[in-house]
Amino acid sequence: MDVELIINGEEKTASIPPETTLLKLLREEFYLTGAKTGCDVGDCGACTVLVDGEAVNSCLMLAGQLQGRSVETIEGLANLEDFHPLQKNFEDLGSLQCGFCGPGMILSAKQLLEENPEPTKQEIQDAIAGNLCRCTGYTKIVEAVADAAKEMREEP
Amino acid sequence: MVDKVKVKERESTLEELREVNDDLRLPSVPEKVSFPIDVVTPEARTQTPAVGQRASRPDGRMHGLGQTKYIDDMSFPGMIYAKIKRAGVAKARIKKIDLSEAEKMPGVMATLIGSEIPVNSFGPSYQDQPIIADKLIYHAGDPVAAVAATTEQLAADALEKIKIEYEQLEPIFDPIEAMKESAPEVHPGQGNIYSSKIIQKGDVDKGFKDSYRTYENTFSTQMVEHVPMEPHASIAEWDANGRVIIHSSLGRITLGRADIARTLDMPINRIRVVATVVGGNFGGKNEITTEPILALLSRKTGRPVKGIYTREDEFMSSTTRHPFIMDYKTGVSEEGKIISRKVRLVCDGGAYCSWSETTLGKACILSAGPYNIENLYVEAYAVYTNKTMTGAMRGFGAPQVCFAYESHMDDIARDLDIDPLQIRRINAFHEGSASPTGQVLQSVVVKDSLDVAADRFGWEEWQK
Ligand code: FES
Ligand code: FES
Repeated sequence: MDVELIINGEEKTASIPPETTLLKLLREEFYLTGAKTGCDVGDCGACTVLVDGEAVNSCLMLAGQLQGRSVETIEGLANLEDFHPLQKNFEDLGSLQCGFCGPGMILSAKQLLEENPEPTKQEIQDAIAGNLCRCTGYTKIVEAVADAAKEMREEP
Repeated sequence: MVDKVKVKERESTLEELREVNDDLRLPSVPEKVSFPIDVVTPEARTQTPAVGQRASRPDGRMHGLGQTKYIDDMSFPGMIYAKIKRAGVAKARIKKIDLSEAEKMPGVMATLIGSEIPVNSFGPSYQDQPIIADKLIYHAGDPVAAVAATTEQLAADALEKIKIEYEQLEPIFDPIEAMKESAPEVHPGQGNIYSSKIIQKGDVDKGFKDSYRTYENTFSTQMVEHVPMEPHASIAEWDANGRVIIHSSLGRITLGRADIARTLDMPINRIRVVATVVGGNFGGKNEITTEPILALLSRKTGRPVKGIYTREDEFMSSTTRHPFIMDYKTGVSEEGKIISRKVRLVCDGGAYCSWSETTLGKACILSAGPYNIENLYVEAYAVYTNKTMTGAMRGFGAPQVCFAYESHMDDIARDLDIDPLQIRRINAFHEGSASPTGQVLQSVVVKDSLDVAADRFGWEEWQK
């Protein structure tokens, strides 16, 4: 089957078997390997991407459901001039260790900051509740999200 | 010769003549990825004196950009995918394996069973683990066959078509039961206790007689899976020179390389292991898993073969933290000074030894706690059961015994009505204390650490 969608602002088409998940579509058709396969059953959040601005587990979504919709992946966050404030703060604080959870974590946080520019610690924790991290203990991740929020408020 | 040849005017363009669709000329390149071209080093990375400074990581930027390439993010031309069929029964004899239906499936390029593996055993201490079980099943996560197919989905589908007949045997799951002489043997002819250790110091029985009170309790801890976010992953490629290149999420590549050489019965210089960033190890990626299987499937098909564990594979067959059953008996003076302690540790090793020996040794040495004890007797056993095997996991036995001896200390303090902090101060190691195995300890700051910690989190307040 064919699917037409927008990935990181560009129109794309792909011919795929109907059982292809969005995660497989991104990783195998478009080589966007930032979204990771942690469990493939919707438990871990490593595959998180934004569909029409909302964080979803791409392993649970069929590519066919994406017809005409817009997907944002971790690869679309930075540009040639600058990082996304989340990426910068995650790096500066050493928020990621093995990094496998990072892309999903950052995208969940991005949705949060778009809807709520001034989140409390609890709200940050809730926003990343679906993104498991086995290395860090989350402390530095929550701090980085808070710092990024601050930075984005100061210089939007 | 005529001066001028009349040439027929060409009417169509070259493109039209060739019937080329220009769209097809667009190169098939990966999606564009942007990141800033000017590299700015974060402040934290330019600080030299490390102590007291914030730590960051050199690979942190790549992680945040989604640019880190883990094994599953790599692919090679012509690559195919392998999946592993697991036993699903805890103990059995394999009577028959029928691969014919699976092999007939379109897209299936090769299958592999245990008897095709040159040396079908491995392990860091004892070589008691088969790469693919060929005669006996020792636990439900044992691999029994592997399939390589052109897509992951086809390989997974092919597993369903493999038919295996088992003769069910009586399994044993409880390590205490498994220690009994009458227990069924996990590895026939070998006995279930495969490692034991004893530490003896002073005279425990006399110590108990001299004690004001004695306390006894049993503590147990559970099996824990590492659950690295990245499942075990490797890609093997066998080349025409008879060498094999393995990209793997292995943490200990040198040890892994030796095991791969041994199981493939090849000189080690024919094996190249390429390690990459690992998406979480915690000890669980210290040993080989499917690497030899992928290598052999690659040899059979002449293609690079990728094998990624499913989360189910991960839980069923990768190593876990050892469950311990720990008996403690401690005699103390009226003031709470430990006079005598006796400990028995039973470490449930699951189906294979893996790092149990090392774990047992460390647990044994640490089992008395960081306390000065004149009379000590520790005995420890590692036992086979028909369960998922246990192996290296952060702490190597230390967290299990720490849970036991500290819980035990709390019980004693409560009964003697002594402040739990005080009972630890009374007994804690000091400069020059000897460890249970006689090592003289230096730079000992247990008491200072306890005091600072108690002060910082408001122990006094909390006690009120
Ligand atoms: S891979 Fe999608 S939630 Fe784990
Ligand atoms: S950094 Fe390893 S899982 Fe989050």
